[in-house]
Amino acid sequence: MTEQIQKPAKKIKGPIRWEAIVPFLIISLVIGLYFHFFFDGHLRRGLEWAGYKAIGAEVNIGQLKTSFFNASLRIQNIEITDAEKPTHDSLKIGDIRFSMLWDALLRAKIVVNEAAVEQIAFGVLRKHPGKVAPPDPVSNEPGFAAEQAAKLKAEALETAQGQAGDNVLGDLISLLGGTDATAQLEKLQDSMPSKAMLEAFDKDLKAKQAKWDEKLKTLPQGKDIQALGDRLGKVKSKDFKSAQELQTSLQEVDAILKEGDGKFKQVQSVAAELQSDLQVLDTQYKTIEVQIKTDIRTLEQHFRIPKLDAKALTMAIFKRYLSPYQAKFNRYKALAEKYVPPNLLTKGKSNDDEIPIQPHPRETGISYEFGRPNSYPLFWVKRTGVSSQAGLSPEAGNIKGEILNITSNQALIGKPTTALLAGDFPDKQIMGFLFKLVMDYRKSESEIDYSLKVNSYALSGKDLVQTPDVQIAFQKATGSMDINGKLLGLKNLTLNFANSFSQIDYAIIAKNEIADQILKAIFQGIPIVTLNVKASGILPAVNLSVNSNLGPELQKGFEKQLQAKIDEARKKVQAHIDQEIGKLKAQVDAELSKLKGQVEGKVKQTQSQLDEQKKQAEAKIDLAKKDAENQGKKQLEQQGQKALDDLKKKFGL
Amino acid sequence: MTLLLKQLFNFLKLLNSDNGTNQLAMGMSLGLVLGFAPFISIQTAIVLALIFIFRVQMGAAFLSAFFFKFVAFLFDHPAHLLGKVVLETSSLKSLFVTMYNMPLVPMTRFNNSIVMGSMIVSFLLFPFAFVLFKKLILKYRVSVVAKFKDTKYWKAFTATKVYGWYCTYDNLYG
Repeated sequence: MTEQIQKPAKKIKGPIRWEAIVPFLIISLVIGLYFHFFFDGHLRRGLEWAGYKAIGAEVNIGQLKTSFFNASLRIQNIEITDAEKPTHDSLKIGDIRFSMLWDALLRAKIVVNEAAVEQIAFGVLRKHPGKVAPPDPVSNEPGFAAEQAAKLKAEALETAQGQAGDNVLGDLISLLGGTDATAQLEKLQDSMPSKAMLEAFDKDLKAKQAKWDEKLKTLPQGKDIQALGDRLGKVKSKDFKSAQELQTSLQEVDAILKEGDGKFKQVQSVAAELQSDLQVLDTQYKTIEVQIKTDIRTLEQHFRIPKLDAKALTMAIFKRYLSPYQAKFNRYKALAEKYVPPNLLTKGKSNDDEIPIQPHPRETGISYEFGRPNSYPLFWVKRTGVSSQAGLSPEAGNIKGEILNITSNQALIGKPTTALLAGDFPDKQIMGFLFKLVMDYRKSESEIDYSLKVNSYALSGKDLVQTPDVQIAFQKATGSMDINGKLLGLKNLTLNFANSFSQIDYAIIAKNEIADQILKAIFQGIPIVTLNVKASGILPAVNLSVNSNLGPELQKGFEKQLQAKIDEARKKVQAHIDQEIGKLKAQVDAELSKLKGQVEGKVKQTQSQLDEQKKQAEAKIDLAKKDAENQGKKQLEQQGQKALDDLKKKFGL
Repeated sequence: MTLLLKQLFNFLKLLNSDNGTNQLAMGMSLGLVLGFAPFISIQTAIVLALIFIFRVQMGAAFLSAFFFKFVAFLFDHPAHLLGKVVLETSSLKSLFVTMYNMPLVPMTRFNNSIVMGSMIVSFLLFPFAFVLFKKLILKYRVSVVAKFKDTKYWKAFTATKVYGWYCTYDNLYG
């Protein structure tokens, strides 16, 4: 039996959930408390993590404070670790603060009237070394290993070239000291690829010669052609007694002609084969000539025979000085390649075979901006005041400047983004620093103009060349710098870097006494050293050109002493090559021309003999035909005369 | 999670009872709008507020939103095309300019082609969905629930003590 459970009649509730007020208030309170007590800390740690991921070096934020009602943010003591020197910060900013307009926020836009960036310092010693991200692990994606291998190869090659550049001066000095290369040359004689190639070619040539000798024997010989001529001579070509006789003669000549034609075709096919073989030999020979030139260059490099070239000398002197700048440029280039959207930068070559499989991204649609004059763009920082006062910390500088109109839509506000910063860092002896930047995205192709000037900065203990043979350094110098350039469409880069050094106290030591004297004399005569670097090209492939007044001076200084020695060393190498390869080369040359002459002569002779016989046969046919025609005509005339005589007799005439 | 599960159980209980047809249908219809709207937008906040303030069945709304999120995902491309046509209509441009520069309205992200397309579709479908869900619920109660309650198994189950305890618990805390 089922027990019926009587449910009490429930009170009908209204359409509004009044009982939810208390839970709603509790949830709101919890959210409010979270934002009041924890949000700033979480945001600070989030920004530190994002900064570390983006830059690859530890980012620290001392304090972060947000205010909901003021829509403001204040970040203090931002430290960005220098990835190359983790004990120091690459940049330290004391204070960043701004507040957004609620008017704009309600319109889902971020507008900041005035932001402030204060207390900027570079190269500050950190309390503890910053964490630096390890290099990316090697991926197992198809094609990636090959790509990485190629990259590593290119880097290794670049490093090797750099080292070669660094050694140019060392090479000059060791040449100045004089080295006897003869003994080493003898050791090297068996390791020249061109020699081995020539020997192989000679062997090949001899085999070809034997083959062609055999082939020439199969060609129609003089007696064969003569036999044809004899047969042709015996054929009757006139005074035919009957048509049958004529036909037999013609058939005989035709048979001889066909036989001759067959022999002619055989000669022609052999001639074509010979031509193709000779072409192959010629190509092989040209490759050997190229290899000989390469061998000469290799020997010159092996014996460190330098080029007295102003550009190479400039690179040799300033390679070490420029490499940190180059490393920085490469670092920022890599960051740009990582974060700039692919449609703005060409990221590698498009190769259909190596496109990795990836899920189809969700449709994102198009977001339209319905702006009107004087309306807010999505993002706009109208003015950022930058100021810094030297003395507050030893590394801080006197900086004053402003960044105007950082925005997501320059066309809407009708202004480009500009930055102007000026000042100096007295502690680092950097004076007269001026940075200008104009970023204009209003045109169809964006244009970024930049310039950086430093009136003077101090250099001390700056090594330029450090090799076992020579050491050159600026013990003390005052430098000035002027960098300017343009970036069009975020791709096309031009950069002019003009550097000059004055009040220089050189430190020059060379092992070789003469070199030491030359170098000291040259450098003492140059009170101001200039260094001009020009870069241009489509990113990331940028061509660099480095010039300095030091290059030509060094060239001039060494030329008197060294040109004769360089020429002499070159002559030695050439003589060695001539001795080792010249004899063999001359022999191969002679064999090749002999083979050419012999085979070609034989083929030509046979061809001309056959041609002659062919002409004779054709003349014979013509003669026989003409004779037959004459005989036919005569017969017709005789028959006509006879018929006329018979007719005359009939009529009694 | 417990709250969500409780809402889902309530949804099943209400669906299988004789009451709350309108609450269920409205919850499912609002879930449709929620499913078609972007997660971070003001219309999502408004619909959620409506669900919380008014006595709409929350479990139905969330279940429906979960389901229609997938439908919206499949509907992305047609929604983009529809939104694009609407947003590029020159006669509506001045209206959009005004809306774009008004407070709060840009937070709907109406200026995005997919959001606009999905919003139009969900608002158009909303009244029809309400009527359809109501009819389907009624039909389900007649053709499935009533027949199930007539089976001997159910009758046997309602005779057990476990069911008695459940009814007592439901009366006290349900």
